[in-house]
Amino acid sequence: MYVLVMSLALSACATSAPMPGPSVRTAAPQGTPSHVFLAGVPLIEQKDDYCGPASLAMALAWVGPGVSQEEVAAQVFSPGADGAYRADLIGSARRHGQLAVTLSEPADLFREVGAGNPVIVFQNLGLDAVPVWHYSVVVGFDLVDAYVLLHTGKDKMEKVDMAAFQRTWARGDHWGMVVVGPGALPASADRDEVLRGAAALEGLGNYEAAIKVYQAGRQRWPDSWMWSFGEGNVAYAQGDLMGAITAYEAALDIDPTIAEVQHNLDEVFKELTAKVGQS
Amino acid sequence: MAALRNFKKAIALCLAGQLMVTSGMATAAQAEMVATSDVIQKYAGTLDRAYLMSEMERQEVRDLILSLGVDPAEADARLAALSDEELSSILAQYEKDAAGGSSVVGALLTVFLILLATDLLCMTKVFSFTRCVS
Repeated sequence: MYVLVMSLALSACATSAPMPGPSVRTAAPQGTPSHVFLAGVPLIEQKDDYCGPASLAMALAWVGPGVSQEEVAAQVFSPGADGAYRADLIGSARRHGQLAVTLSEPADLFREVGAGNPVIVFQNLGLDAVPVWHYSVVVGFDLVDAYVLLHTGKDKMEKVDMAAFQRTWARGDHWGMVVVGPGALPASADRDEVLRGAAALEGLGNYEAAIKVYQAGRQRWPDSWMWSFGEGNVAYAQGDLMGAITAYEAALDIDPTIAEVQHNLDEVFKELTAKVGQS
Repeated sequence: MAALRNFKKAIALCLAGQLMVTSGMATAAQAEMVATSDVIQKYAGTLDRAYLMSEMERQEVRDLILSLGVDPAEADARLAALSDEELSSILAQYEKDAAGGSSVVGALLTVFLILLATDLLCMTKVFSFTRCVS
């Protein structure tokens, strides 16, 4: 018996198989469909300690080409910690050319899953004093019967009691992350989260992915000049001086007072003039 | 331990200084463009989430990642993919000992019994065989 207890207690990325319970309060916002199930999200059974890599591999496969949990682990797993840090999951999604955004508030979980985006959640399955850290992927929920559907651990998809899920998720600081495909935007994310994610893709030199986010962002938040500024910087980085000028001018049309935009525009003009002079 | 930490910091400082000299030389040759991330840092956000990390703090995160058994090239690739704010979250998570995947459950039978009880009360979700009754 004691050996059994030990092996269960020490199994990393612990698994669980709870049953549905009666209705409890939820953080679901108004207008959320009562039942959602994203049937197409692939189920990857995690290897030992690989709940993070397996979760991200599932989210990546949902929006793009399939990736193995080992490939993801190479980018997120920290052997000395026997696990993956949350930031490294974000970084790895970006290194795969996808936009990764964290949730701003718990209700976003329902907004995202309701909009067709599985959410990677970070849970403490145990207690504060006896933590059991774990990553899962939320692929559905039912507000009437009060459960969430998780791709988690080594088992098949699990139906987890809503109250139990919410408690374990609260102990993980309600951390959640969505990965969206090229040109798509998360349902809930705020403008600045998306901007930062796009700029990070740009910083990694993934211009194709960055430009798609800037374009999509400009359509959703047309009042902000920063999307066009980003487009200008990507065009410049790709050697497209005319494209950069067009984008910076579009940014100045929205707000002519931003010195940084004017500065970059001037720089490109200078470079263009020099080039014309040489030829 | 404190001495080791100070030593590491001194090395980090030297490296940071060296980096500033070399990167300064690199940028002088090309146009001085303002980066998208700098503009976002300045203009975006009602929340003050973005902040600047010093080279020394970045080095501290890098040292931590290396000490966890990640090889140097991969550590640099991880650093390059993250903002300062995201990098600082690694330090915070490390201090909480909260990397997902590690389960530092004590070996005591009492701990097992407590978690079994909390599982049954829908407070926790540690064991696969528990059915919670809320």
